[in-house]
Amino acid sequence: MEESTLVGLVMSEAFAEILWAEKYRPKSLKEIVNQEEVVRRLMKFVEEKNMPHLLFAGPPGTGKTTAALALAHDLYGEDWRRYVLELNASDERGIDVIRTKVKEFARSRVPGHVPFKIVLLDEADNMTADAQQALRRLMEMYVETTRFILIANYPSKIIEPIQSRCAVFRFTPLRKEDVIARLKWIADCEKVNYDEEAFDVIYELSEGDMRKAINILQAAAALGKVTVSTVYKVVGLAHPKEIREMIQLALNGKFLEARDKLRKLMIEYGLSGIDVIKQIHREVFSPELKLPEDLRVLIADYAGEIQFRLVEGADDEIQLNAFLARLALLGKRFTGA
Amino acid sequence: MHKLARRIPWVIKYRPKRIAEVINQEEAKRTLVSWIKSWPNVSKKAALLWGPPGSGKTSLVEAIANEFGYELVEMNASDFRRAADIERIAMVAAGRSSLFGRKGKIILLDEVDGMQGRADLGGIEAIVKLVEMTKHPIVMTANDPWDPKLRPLRDVAILIEFKRLSELDVVKVLRRICTEENIVCEEDALRFIAQRSEGDLRSAINDLEALAEGAGKATLSVAKVLLRPRDREHNPFETLRAIFSSKYAWQAKLAASQSQLDYEQLIEWLNENIPNYITDPEELWKAYEALSRASVYQGRIIKSGSWDLLAYVMDLATAGVALAQKQPKYKWARLKFPEKIKRLAETKEMRELREEVAELIARHIHTSRRVVKSDVLPYVKLIFEYNPQYAAKLAIGLNMTDRMIKYLARNRYNEVMSYVKKFSEAIRREAEAKVREAQQVVEAKPTPTAEEKKRRESRRKTKETGASLLSYMKK
Repeated sequence: MEESTLVGLVMSEAFAEILWAEKYRPKSLKEIVNQEEVVRRLMKFVEEKNMPHLLFAGPPGTGKTTAALALAHDLYGEDWRRYVLELNASDERGIDVIRTKVKEFARSRVPGHVPFKIVLLDEADNMTADAQQALRRLMEMYVETTRFILIANYPSKIIEPIQSRCAVFRFTPLRKEDVIARLKWIADCEKVNYDEEAFDVIYELSEGDMRKAINILQAAAALGKVTVSTVYKVVGLAHPKEIREMIQLALNGKFLEARDKLRKLMIEYGLSGIDVIKQIHREVFSPELKLPEDLRVLIADYAGEIQFRLVEGADDEIQLNAFLARLALLGKRFTGA
Repeated sequence: MHKLARRIPWVIKYRPKRIAEVINQEEAKRTLVSWIKSWPNVSKKAALLWGPPGSGKTSLVEAIANEFGYELVEMNASDFRRAADIERIAMVAAGRSSLFGRKGKIILLDEVDGMQGRADLGGIEAIVKLVEMTKHPIVMTANDPWDPKLRPLRDVAILIEFKRLSELDVVKVLRRICTEENIVCEEDALRFIAQRSEGDLRSAINDLEALAEGAGKATLSVAKVLLRPRDREHNPFETLRAIFSSKYAWQAKLAASQSQLDYEQLIEWLNENIPNYITDPEELWKAYEALSRASVYQGRIIKSGSWDLLAYVMDLATAGVALAQKQPKYKWARLKFPEKIKRLAETKEMRELREEVAELIARHIHTSRRVVKSDVLPYVKLIFEYNPQYAAKLAIGLNMTDRMIKYLARNRYNEVMSYVKKFSEAIRREAEAKVREAQQVVEAKPTPTAEEKKRRESRRKTKETGASLLSYMKK
């Protein structure tokens, strides 16, 4: 970076800050260190100034959105935002809203040097099969002037006709050393104090999700030196203690009180059913929860079943109530209370 | 004559002739009588009598007409689809004097909630028009006045509630009829009929007639055999009790089919009340497991659009829940209105604010509000609660509103805000200085060298930052 711009950056940073996950997002395909195969193929599209519809699939925090934005940046240059419509399937209220937005966007003008614009549709696997059918028609209708980049965690939940119209790119989990190298680089840029071992812990806790890892790093840095213990503290604090209390209450047979806690988690913290069950899963194997070891496995099994039902579209609170009722029963059997 | 009299159904034969004969409902009587007597000097020209079936709504209107000598012009509201009927009523309503020279007229529109679907929408409109022009009191009846489609009617009418009759009220009337008809009746049989009627006097009288007419007696054993379950809309509490106490799958399913609750509401009510009725841990889990499976089918309906699956939702939500119990039985339990609905209403503002913050951050880091809420917000909140100075920088960098800062910082709001003010002030001073400097550069060097161009470019960028920060300050 040139010295003068660096000065400008530092000056404003004394008083204003953004989320590091965004601040340190690679802007160009050249800056992406992972997913080499994907990046190589995407660079070809930039070179040819042409591309088919794309489907990016892979676990969270592996660079799907980053790759899509970087591709747009490299295609269109600095004002790439004018030629990209960003939509998120889980935030838009149905396919009609998406249709209207795409229609309007498709009418706006095409940049001179690239013959198409890009619609970036994130979390496309959250769309119903019907909505995906409608999406497929949209993709065909505006193919002259727009290309779609669909982003999904689970490609199997994208209907066959869409998959067959897209070039599918699979994003693999990031390598541990790459995640840690990135974290270290950010920490150095930010002049953060740290212990090396802390990065290992961040990697473990973020389950290979780069965005989560960077969030943990930033929060830990805000609390002071980044050490193993601050990292644990941050992650512990960020996850409501009510989860463990709720599990404990249910195991003690206090179903109604456990249900109250659950409601608090869902309504006050705004957690979705899937968030709650995932955190429960983490808690079940935590040494701080005193449980017979075989009970942990039984609980995990049912938690998995409940998570599957939630993914199938069942109601959050009912599923978790069923889970709590199961805990109450298992608790009684194991303690003989 | 005797034979003919016997052919009149008892519900008609024993209709109250006088107001005093209408059982219970004293408050409704007082209100309605004084409203009719004051008419037309009343706030609203129509009255809407509402309450469970067979609680005496129509009977009271008839008794009033009879006792005070009004002519009763009756019409079932479903007739409102026929233009000729509307005209007939409209002419009566507009007419000043009665054909029979009586005191006046009461226009009775029975069962206005019986109108259904789009075809009847015109009917509601016609009634509202009628109320506007009428020269006579209009009395309407309904079981469920809170039906959204009846709203226009609620607006133009005073509402008078009829309470569900008690078992005792019903037994009293049945006993009187038995005496009049010279029927030997077992007290237990009358109580059985009354209990089954759930406060619906009309149905109880019909039952008694079916049981005793011709036989000349009413016994419990015959009553139990003869009287089959009746189809009627049950309120949520009745529905839940019926489901929870079902011993057979068909009973539980029937209870749901006779409910005022639609299937989504029913599931919500069950979700709230399963632990209020079922306490044994094993049964409790089995009941929730059944409801959970019902909810899975519900999800599949939405995803696949195949409504055929609804049957399975109902099987599991009703029979599945009931038969989770080893011995389902009728018992007293305190059932509750679904808490979730209440809580969602109470926490609306907080949830909206959370959505606003999530939206802001979601746009910033190119993801969904859902991901922000689960993966990002917890850490941002943490920063706001532990490091007000750093939080202030984030608040400025992300362009947050005061409300958002308050939501994130909670009791450290004031600390965060004092830093925000301090930093904002500093940024403004710096930005102003930069703008001045940039202007001086432009004035001083009209023909820049290549290197100067580069430097100026970087200054232009900082100038932009300064300008956008300035605009933030102004907010």
